[in-house]
Amino acid sequence: MTEEKSAPASGSILVVGGGISGLTTTLEAAEVGYEVFLVENNPSLGGRVAQLNQYFPKLCPPTCGLEINFRRIKDNPNIKVFTLAEVEKVDGSPGNYNVRIKLSPRYVNENCTCCDECAKACDTERPNAFNFGMDQQKAAYLPHEMAFPARYVLAPEIIGTDAAQKCKDACPYDAIDLDMAAKTIDLNVGAIVWATGWEPYDATKMDNLGFGQYENIITNMMMERLAAPNGPTQGKVFRPSDDKEPESVAFVQCAGSRDENHLPYCSYICCMASLKQATYVRERYPDAKIYIFYIDIRSPGQRYENFYKKVKEDENVFLIKGKVAEVSQDPATKNVTVVAENAVTGEKIHQEVEMAVLATGMQPTAANTTLPADLKFNTDGFMMNDFAKGGMFAAGCATKPADVVSSNQNATGMALKAIQTLVRR
Amino acid sequence: MSVKHMVEPDVGFINEVASLGGGDLKKCFQCATCSVACAISPDTKPFPRKEMIAASWGLKDRLVADADIWLCHNCGDCTTRCPRGAKPAEVLAAIRAYAVNEYSTPKGLAKAVANPKMLPVLLAVPAAIFIGLGLILKMFGIDWLNFAPHGDVIWQSHFINNYLVDIIMVPTFFAAIGIFGLGLKRFVMDIHANAVAEGKTDKTEFEPMEFVKAIGRVVPKIIKHQQFDQCTENRARSTAHMMVLFSFIGLFIVTNCFFVAEWILHIEGPYSQLSPVKWLGNISGVALIIGGFLLLKNRLAKTDRGSSYWDWYLIGLVLGLGLTGMATQMARLGGLAGPTYVIYFVHLLLIWALFAYTPFSKLGHLVYRTVAMTYNEYSGRK
Repeated sequence: MTEEKSAPASGSILVVGGGISGLTTTLEAAEVGYEVFLVENNPSLGGRVAQLNQYFPKLCPPTCGLEINFRRIKDNPNIKVFTLAEVEKVDGSPGNYNVRIKLSPRYVNENCTCCDECAKACDTERPNAFNFGMDQQKAAYLPHEMAFPARYVLAPEIIGTDAAQKCKDACPYDAIDLDMAAKTIDLNVGAIVWATGWEPYDATKMDNLGFGQYENIITNMMMERLAAPNGPTQGKVFRPSDDKEPESVAFVQCAGSRDENHLPYCSYICCMASLKQATYVRERYPDAKIYIFYIDIRSPGQRYENFYKKVKEDENVFLIKGKVAEVSQDPATKNVTVVAENAVTGEKIHQEVEMAVLATGMQPTAANTTLPADLKFNTDGFMMNDFAKGGMFAAGCATKPADVVSSNQNATGMALKAIQTLVRR
Repeated sequence: MSVKHMVEPDVGFINEVASLGGGDLKKCFQCATCSVACAISPDTKPFPRKEMIAASWGLKDRLVADADIWLCHNCGDCTTRCPRGAKPAEVLAAIRAYAVNEYSTPKGLAKAVANPKMLPVLLAVPAAIFIGLGLILKMFGIDWLNFAPHGDVIWQSHFINNYLVDIIMVPTFFAAIGIFGLGLKRFVMDIHANAVAEGKTDKTEFEPMEFVKAIGRVVPKIIKHQQFDQCTENRARSTAHMMVLFSFIGLFIVTNCFFVAEWILHIEGPYSQLSPVKWLGNISGVALIIGGFLLLKNRLAKTDRGSSYWDWYLIGLVLGLGLTGMATQMARLGGLAGPTYVIYFVHLLLIWALFAYTPFSKLGHLVYRTVAMTYNEYSGRK
């Protein structure tokens, strides 16, 4: 009989990216006994899911899925997590990769208890990237309330200033170490799973949709943050110009997706995201009107189809077949007018709303950065798995636009692929 | 009772539109971006989204009778914004070419004008008419054609007499108007029926007097190029088009002045370079050449836009007319007898082609677009 938790073969696995897919691959591989290194370039794990208010299929808050995963990581001695870490170089072949990882300093050590004294003492603020710049955060901060590891971070731009010193002086636990320096570590692993995820497509690139020009046009990911209880408005959906509760909201589908001038593919999630966000507004404001402008509503599978049906039954939700191609703003009220042709009636609609949400698509992280490994990508920047070659695999939204369910299924499969690489060694 | 719609796709029509430059039309997925991107598309039944689906279904009859294909000024804003590269602007241009063919008679001539291989034949026709008629008249003692003109003054009338030119050009001009007239009544009735059927207008009874009144409201718009100026993608075309249009008008006035001088006042040319009519002629000629080159430059610069023989024919004609006309004058003033007569002959062929082939060529838009814009104005559509 084999001893519990011992690896059936030698070698370990590197997982790049600590979002929902990377967490899943890590846990699935580690829980059958493999040593896994999880590398995340942000200060905390959770990825895009952590930014959501609710996520499909059960409309849970992200705490629901992420906390249990964090717990499993904490309990598993096979897992080593590196945050603020970046893969610099990958050499070798399946079964034997040498990986160099750069660790950026956090300036906060494991003594941190999240007491918030450093943040209180810090007099420097910066736009909160986790909230897409909709509010400010202190330069000594906890990435978000359920951050894992639960440890503060000092923004590198304050190092060497009085602000950093004030933070250090305020810390009652001697957790701030301003001398912390960047370092590199070398790992030898047998397989690598790239779960590098996605970024919201830059909405300013759609010059006809007014993002960045008109205050009350936001993106769908910003909407998630507005609706999230830990977001900039504590879960109240306010429009940015005057913090008014919007009485009417337009959703602009395919904002960048299915468009050769931007992302030529369907981003898969945005239709469901907008239908879901329609419920955020409707739950909060019983009289609010929702206008969803779409090319086709894509609600794949019975579960999503039922959700779509349910939203459609709401008499305050209007679904209009026609893509918004022009927007304008009333300078006095800051209301937004979206223009589309209703392709069913053949009439051009100029719909004035108090706020518009662009359903921006998913762009693979790798589209805008170069990963330091011999990987194959399609023209859109999604990674293509080469199972014949093996050794390195891509999981989740690094390979295709996907929802959480499919990402997790895919990530589980890639854990198996990584294990197979080690076993066949 | 439910209404039954039977779609009868005309596959030949789809292929024809594709061959005329609308080859990407099947890429359209009906998102309707184009109808919004278009600055001049109305709110009621906007274009070109509905034209795109009608084209991919092969609904020929609906499209040739659709005034909206003519409201389009082909600026290309829709093509730029199209998320699929379906090129709505090119598709509408192709449908227009098809519609010109549809409303002109004889059909064979329309086909020839659209076919680059037939160009030499089309230009040989006026050459044969000029020389043939000149030789026939010679047999009757009327000497209006002289292959070896000489004398102190170089004057093209010594080569081909102006009377010979006029007795050919004037009937050709009116024949072209006649051909337009034949198609036009059907065209107006068709676009009216289409507008009523598609709900673009609530004026179900056609009122000819109201329609005529609408011309007065539309002409200033055309002169001012108001539609062109709303385009964002291709604003430069406005200037080029304006120069060409105005110079054609100027040259038409000049031609009429000299016609009166010749036939009524019996004043023989060459006319003084200082005459105001000459001034107008020269200014128009220069504007025609510059406008023609600008059109050419704009088309060549827009590599993402499609251009077909249909387009090149018209630009070639404009530049050919301007350059041969100006070169004739230069050669004449420079005392080069041979070149003067040769270039003049080419110039005459082009003028004849201008008159005779207009109802069959892209220049037919002069009539169809004006009528369609007038109908749209009349219809009270928003």
